[in-house]
Amino acid sequence: MKEGLLIVLSLIALTSLCDTINQLFLKSAINSLNFTPTFNIIKIFKFIFQLVINPRLWLGFVFSVISLCIWLLVLSKAELNFAFSADSMHYIFIALASRLILKERFSSLRWLGTGLIISGIVIVSLS
Amino acid sequence: MFKKKVTLKILLLLIASDILETAIQFFFKKSALAQADLVVADPAGAAVFLKAVFFSPFLWAGLFTVAAVFIIWSTILSKIDLSVAVPIASFSYIFVPIASIIFLHEKITILRWAGILFILIGVILVSLSSKERIAQAK
Repeated sequence: MKEGLLIVLSLIALTSLCDTINQLFLKSAINSLNFTPTFNIIKIFKFIFQLVINPRLWLGFVFSVISLCIWLLVLSKAELNFAFSADSMHYIFIALASRLILKERFSSLRWLGTGLIISGIVIVSLS
Repeated sequence: MFKKKVTLKILLLLIASDILETAIQFFFKKSALAQADLVVADPAGAAVFLKAVFFSPFLWAGLFTVAAVFIIWSTILSKIDLSVAVPIASFSYIFVPIASIIFLHEKITILRWAGILFILIGVILVSLSSKERIAQAK
């Protein structure tokens, strides 16, 4: 059971990591387009078209497919309530990636929230 | 300017997205359970498992629901801020365990509920802090 839990947690970490990489590619693709929110339909379609032809979007898509495959493997091994709770670790990865790669600044509230998520995952895993 | 006003229509959309998110996870779990007789112990076993799941109607019901949630979520975010939307949407962290008990007959201990509560509060704090950050940038 102990070893099984470790494998499942590693797989959940892997799917969360793939999700984070997907988000980073998506964010970087969108950032490169310099789009400002608008209700102009033509501009919105132009934005979507530029996004669809952006290779970074498709790199992100590949990672989201990998993430889904691993997620299905996780669900074959773990209870849904546990897997879904533990999957919240993508918040931690996204926080780290935003801080280290995108150089976004964090408030203490966000660190507190991230800390609570980590404690929650530990408690859920121990139970 | 912040888009903060949560109207009844937005609230219903948010609850719908919570319920559909729960449905997605239920469908995915069902598609995996349908292949429970397959033993996934190595990459080859994983490939056989994934191929079988690919042909499960539950998987496609789940993916269809993902598309529906994406459309609903885009509508929500065009009306209200992410920092307002995410805390309400994160109630799927409560809905999914409840659905697991009712439909999948999983058992959840008090300690696990406590962990889930920690995660829920954490997610809400993380999303609230994005509002604070934008407010400082203004």
